[in-house]
Formats: sequence, C-alpha cells, structure tokens
Amino acid sequence: MTYHRPTCLDDAVALLQCAPVEVIAGGTDWYPARGDRPVTSDILDITRVDGLRGIRAAPDGWWIGAATTWTDILRAPLPPDFDALKAAACEVGSIQIQNAGTVAGNLCNASPAADGVPPLLVLEAEVELASATGQRRLPLAAFLTGVRQTALQPGEMMAGLWIRKPAPGRAAFVKLGARRYLVISIAMVAVWLRLDGSLIAEIRIAVGACSPTSVRLTALEAALTGCRVADCATRFHADHFVPLAPITDMRADAPYRADAVQALIARAITEAAL
Amino acid sequence: MTIEINNQPYDLPDDARISLLDFMRERLELFGSKKGCNQGACGACTVLVDGERILSCLALAAQYDGRSVTTIEGVANGDELHPLQALFVENEGMQCGYCTPGQIMSGIALKSELERGAPSNVSADLTVAPRMSRDEIKERLSGNLCRCGAHNGIIDAVAAYVGGEEQ
Ligand SMILES: Cc1cc2nc3c(=O)[nH]c(=O)nc-3n(C[C@H](O)[C@H](O)[C@H](O)COP(=O)(O)OP(=O)(O)OC[C@H]3O[C@@H](n4cnc5c(N)ncnc54)[C@H](O)[C@@H]3O)c2cc1C
Ligand code: FES
Ligand code: FES
Repeated sequence: MTYHRPTCLDDAVALLQCAPVEVIAGGTDWYPARGDRPVTSDILDITRVDGLRGIRAAPDGWWIGAATTWTDILRAPLPPDFDALKAAACEVGSIQIQNAGTVAGNLCNASPAADGVPPLLVLEAEVELASATGQRRLPLAAFLTGVRQTALQPGEMMAGLWIRKPAPGRAAFVKLGARRYLVISIAMVAVWLRLDGSLIAEIRIAVGACSPTSVRLTALEAALTGCRVADCATRFHADHFVPLAPITDMRADAPYRADAVQALIARAITEAAL
Repeated sequence: MTIEINNQPYDLPDDARISLLDFMRERLELFGSKKGCNQGACGACTVLVDGERILSCLALAAQYDGRSVTTIEGVANGDELHPLQALFVENEGMQCGYCTPGQIMSGIALKSELERGAPSNVSADLTVAPRMSRDEIKERLSGNLCRCGAHNGIIDAVAAYVGGEEQ
C-alpha cells in the first residue's frame, strides 16, 4: 500500500490513472466507512494539492476547491446567498469534524443525508471533475446519481465546485435530527429566495434525506413564486411533494418524514425572508 | 517524513496505514489521547494541529507530515498545570477521567475559536462575532461526550476559562 500526497492537480490525476487508488480528503467519511477492514489499496491524499483549498471569487461567481473544509466555508466572507451553506457547515458533526471534513468529500460520499447537498442545490452549484484527459463540469443534481452513487468515472476526482453569481438573494437551512447535537439528519431543507417587497420574486427549495438523493421541488417553487411570504404554507399541495420518497429507517418513519418536511420548508422560507 | 508532537519531532512510520491516534498511543506511548469509539463520535481523541482541533482517530498520521500537533501531554508547563487543567480540578469537571484529555483539548481550541470570532450553530448571526454564553460553550463542546455525565462541571470549567459576561 502506498500513500500519495501530490502537490499539483496534474500529478493527482496522473496517479488516479494507475488503479486502484482511493481518494481521501478529511477522512471523516472514509475512516468510519471502512470499519475494521484493513487498508489495502493505495491512498491519494488531495489535501495538499496546490489551489484546491479555499474559496475564490470570480466576476461571474465563486470557486470552492475540493480541499475546502466546512470551517473554511464558515469563516469566508460570502454574500447572504450562502447562508444556507454556512448554516449547514456548522451542523456537520462537531467542530473537530468541520475542521477536517470537506464540502467535496460530503458530495462524493453521496449520502442521502449529506447536509451540504440541499444548500448547494439551491445555489445551482456545478461540480468540476478532473482526470488525466481533462476536466468536465456537471450540475450537482446530475452528479449525484443515487444512494452513495455519483457520476465520477474511474480515473476522475472532484477538483471543486462552481457557483454562478445569482441575483442577490437570501438563504436558510433547517435540519431535523433526533437530538440537538451531532446527528445525522432525519430531513433537511434549504431555501434560497429573492423578495420583491413582501412577495416572493424567485424561490428555490431543496429537500434532503427524503429520497435517494436530495431534490429540488420545482412544482412547489413555481406555486410559491409571486406569493406573499406569509401565505406560503397555505399553498402547499400533495402534488408538490411527489419527487420525495421518504423511507422508514432507524431514525424516523416515512409518514413522519413526509409530515416534517412541510413544516421544515415553511420554517426555512420564513427564516430566509427575515 | 516527520511530525512534531508537543514540540518534539518524530519520524512518521513507514506504514502509512496507521492513524494519528494509533501512532501516538501504540508507537510513541503517548497514552493521553484516548480511543473511545475510533469513529469520530466521542471526541476522546481530540488533538490540536497547528492550533485547530481535529479527531486523531479519523486521520492518517502521514496526513500530518510537517505539521505541529499538541496533545494533553503538551499543555502543562512542567509541574504547573495548564489553566484549564486546574479549572477542571477546581470545578470537578470529571468522574472517571476518560473523556477529560479530549474535553480539555476542545476547551483550549474553543477559546481561541471564540477569540477569533468564529460563529457556531447557536450563534445568533453567522456574520458577526458571537457573544459568549453557556449555550455557545455547550454547542462547541458537543463533539466531546462524557459517559459519566460530568458535563456540568466540564462546562463550568470551560466557562471560567473563556470568561465572558453570561456564565
Ligand atoms: C461523527 C460524525 C458526524 C458526522 N456528521 C455529519 C453531519 O451531521 N452531516 C453530514 O452531512 N455529514 C456528517 N458526517 C460525515 C462527514 O463528516 C462529511 O460528509 C464530510 O464533509 C466528509 O468530508 P471528508 O473530507 O472528510 O471526506 P473523506 O472521508 O475524505 O471522503 C469521503 C468520500 O469521498 C471521496 N472523496 C473525497 N474527496 C474527493 C474528491 N475530491 N474527488 C473524488 N472523491 C473524493 C473519498 O474517496 C470517500 O469515498 C459525519 C461524520 C462523522 C464521523
Ligand atoms: S476515538 Fe476519536 S472520536 Fe471517539
Ligand atoms: S469523566 Fe468519565 S467519561 Fe467523562
């Protein structure tokens, strides 16, 4: 077993071509996932690749490198559009986990309960995937293909995320767990919205832990556009929630999840509109 | 590859599979950092890397090549306890003591995080420096469990250490 820690992206993707190698960043998902199984494959640590850690503002948006930690997100000066992502950042595990764990690792691990996904879906984030043959960009929704499944091809790694500058809006994230601290979400909701007085000019709503991957509720978004903030909850209709397929598991049962989601959405809208 | 632990340099092991926690406990006989769960859930293995707290059970030692690690063994000044260690004694912030090294390392990091104005999940506004409160301390210690339930004493000790208005 060999441990690789390249300092440039070209070297990292060159190593990925020589199978099999496992990518690690913060290790906070990778470690617990392996349990007592010994490490047999080579390891590619991406945390010291030049240019992969940090958030850069460009004229048309933001770049979040794949080695950027949750703590980096929380400390970065970002506009209110990122408030849902920041709120998620300080709910991922504990501060010790936020100091090591990365946003990209959260996405690549592809848990249905990954707290980073709904806030990035409402920002319409795109992921940048790099391999020895080049780079490609995909919308986050297309990157996440199922429970613990992504569009990553052999030889590919995530280099970072792009977030195009939206018309200035505000965002909120609400997470429901069985207790206050250190919990895996039963359900979580991110909302991004832009107001015109007390009316909703534009809104994006994403729900996590209630389907194999977090999803946007576009029919609900359409129904709430033009609506007064205070009236939103009265417009909810069963049809709006069709994309959700909550399951029963050790954390909660399906009817509870379905019910809770509506309350969480109403709360997130109110919070984002404050 | 070398790592600095409590200001002393050590060669990293040839076998890169070893976690930072196992490296310290099994190879260096630094038994201060505890292995409570080995999966990130209890905080007993908390150490500082360049001043920031992480869980040493979820890290390969090799990942911290060239970095400076501080463990509970490195906080006292000779026979003189670190102020937070003394406050744990004074406030009876322990029972069996197994979680204590992690609690103290978290408490030390917590103070510097607050001084830098880092917000947390209970901070009213994520964009301004948080005010110290018992809720902030509880939130920021939430990654450190205590099976004995000594939390009240632990929180008292940390509150006295960070100071602030509401305690
Ligand atoms: C106690 C505990 C509590 C937690 N609580 C939460 C929580 O509340 N909410 C939550 O969402 N998560 C939680 N997590 C999960 C985890 O901390 C986060 O998902 C974290 O963001 C993962 O990032 P990482 O850098 O540690 O990923 P790693 O563990 O390094 O990697 C995760 C996976 O992604 C792959 N990977 C990482 N980076 C890349 C890349 N650039 N390209 C390709 N593949 C890559 C790795 O191969 C691995 O399979 C918790 C974990 C623990 C141990
Ligand atoms: S031993 Fe590391 S968190 Fe429990
Ligand atoms: S004092 Fe026993 S676990 Fe905390």
